Amino acid sequence: MEATQATPVKYDMDVVRWFTIMAVVYAVVGTLIGVYVASELAWPFLNFDIPEITFGRLRPLHTNAVIFAFGGCTLMATGYYMVQRTGGTRLWSNGLAWFTFWGWNLIIVLAVITLPLGMTQSKEYAELEWPIDILIAIVWVAFGLNHIMTNTIRKTSHIYVSNWFTMAMIVMIAYLHIVNSLAIPVSLTQSVSVFSGVQDAMVQWWWGHNAVGFYLTAGFLGIMYYFVPKQSGRPVFSYRLSVLHFWTLSFGYVWLGAHHLQYTALPDWTGSLGAAISLAMIIPSWGGAMNGMMTLSGAWDKLRTDYILRFLVTSLAFYAMSTFDGPVMAIKTVNALSHYTDWTVGHVHAGALGWMAMVSFGALYHMVKKLWNTEMYSDSLVNVHFWVALIGSVIYIVAMWVSGIMQGLMWRDYDEYGTLTYTFVETVSAMHPYYAMRAVGGAIFNLGTWIMLYNVVMTVRQANAARRVSAVPANA
Amino acid sequence: MEYLHTDWAAMTLNDWLGVIYTVLAFVAMILIYVMVLHPKHKEAFDSRADMALRDADDYNKLGDK
Repeated sequence: MEATQATPVKYDMDVVRWFTIMAVVYAVVGTLIGVYVASELAWPFLNFDIPEITFGRLRPLHTNAVIFAFGGCTLMATGYYMVQRTGGTRLWSNGLAWFTFWGWNLIIVLAVITLPLGMTQSKEYAELEWPIDILIAIVWVAFGLNHIMTNTIRKTSHIYVSNWFTMAMIVMIAYLHIVNSLAIPVSLTQSVSVFSGVQDAMVQWWWGHNAVGFYLTAGFLGIMYYFVPKQSGRPVFSYRLSVLHFWTLSFGYVWLGAHHLQYTALPDWTGSLGAAISLAMIIPSWGGAMNGMMTLSGAWDKLRTDYILRFLVTSLAFYAMSTFDGPVMAIKTVNALSHYTDWTVGHVHAGALGWMAMVSFGALYHMVKKLWNTEMYSDSLVNVHFWVALIGSVIYIVAMWVSGIMQGLMWRDYDEYGTLTYTFVETVSAMHPYYAMRAVGGAIFNLGTWIMLYNVVMTVRQANAARRVSAVPANA
Repeated sequence: MEYLHTDWAAMTLNDWLGVIYTVLAFVAMILIYVMVLHPKHKEAFDSRADMALRDADDYNKLGDK
C-alpha cells in the first residue's frame, strides 16, 4: 500500500498524564484507608467513638477510593492512551476528556465528604447519594462518547481488542449504574430505591457482580491485552482467542449476579443458573490468562530484568486464581460454608490486589516512561515495589482465606445434642490473629504504593529538568 | 419434569420480553462463536496480533484506512 500521510500523529496526552498521576495518588490514599479500617476490626479502640471514622462509614470510602478513584483514573488514563495509539489518531474531543478528568475528581471529593458523614444509599459499591449518582452518569457517558467517537475517527481499519474490552465496560457500566441507582429523592442527601424487597436485592447484585465483571475485569483485560504485548515486545499469543475471550465474557458475565444471593428469598433456580454460568466462565477466564502468559513465549528471560513486566505477568496468575476461586464459591454447597465469611473478603482481594492493582501498576509504570519520554528514576524501586506488593497481597489473602474457612466451620459446628458448639463471640475471638495479620499485609501493600508515588514524582521531576536543560540555547 | 413445567398462560409482557431477549442473545452468541472459530477466519484475526506493537506512524505509512 502507498503512503497516504507522512505527518506524525500528535496525541492528546496531557489529560492522560494527569489521570496517571491521580491514579498513583489514589492508590496511596485508597489503600491507606483500607489499612485503617482493617486495623479498626483488629483493634476496635481505633474508632475513638468518632462516628465519622467508624468502620461502617470508612469502609465504603475505602472501596470507593480504590475502585472508582484509583481504578477509575487508571481505566480512563489507559482508555484514552490505548484508543489513540492503536487507532493512530488523537482524541475526538480533548475538551470532553478534560471534562471527564475534573468531573471524575469532583465525584471523588464529594465521596470523601458525604460517606464519612453517613450519607449513603446503603447499596454495596453504589453507596453515593442520588445527586452524585447523576454526576457519575453524566461523566461516565461523556467518557464513553469520547472513547467511542475516537474509535470512529481512527486511522486503522480494525479496532484493537483492548478498545473492545473498554467499550464493553463503558456501555455495561452506564446501563448498570443508571438502572441500579434509580431512586425517588426525599431530600438532597437522601433517597429511596424504586425497587423493593427481593427485586432490590437482585438488581443490586446484578449491578454488584457486573461492576466486578465489566469494570474490574473487562476494563483491566483491555489494559492487559495492550500492555503485556507492548512491554514484552511480543505479539498477542492468539488474537483469535482474545476475540473469543471478549465475546464469551460479554455474553456470560451478566448472568452471574444471583450467586451472591444463594439461600435467600430469590427463586432457587436463579441461584443455580448463576452458579452454573459462573463455573462455565472459568473456561474463557483461564483461556484469557493463558493467552496473556503465552504472549511471553520466547521472552520469558525478560522477567529477570524487566520489573514492569513482572507486575503484568503476576497479575495474570492472580486473575487465573481468583477466576477459579469465585466460581467454586458460587457452588451452593461451597457457598453454604463461604457466604458471609472472610473467605469472600479474601477472594475479592485476590482479584483487587493481585489482579487489578498489579496490572494497573504495570500499565502505569509503562505509561509514565512513555508519557514523559524518560526512564524511571529508579528501576530498583520498581523491583522493591513489586516484591512488597506481592508479599503484602499474599499475607492479606492467606489471612482471610484461613480466617474465613475457620469462621464458616465454627458457625456450622454442632454437638451430639444438636447444639451449636461455638458462640458467635468465640468465632470473633478466634479470628482476631488473622485480622491483625490482614492489617499487616495491607500495610505492607500500602508501603509499596508510597514507593511508587515517590518513584513516579522523581521520574516526572527528572524528565522536566531534562526538558528544561535541552530547551536552553546552545550558546547560552 | 415438574421442575421444568411452565405455565405459559401466566406469562406477563415482561416475561415474554425477557424470553425473547434471552433467546436472541443466545442465537447471537452462537453466531459469533461460529464466526470466531471458523478456520477460514483464523489468519484474518491473527494478522492483528502485533497491532499493539505498531506505532501510529506505521499506520500512516501503510495508509491502513
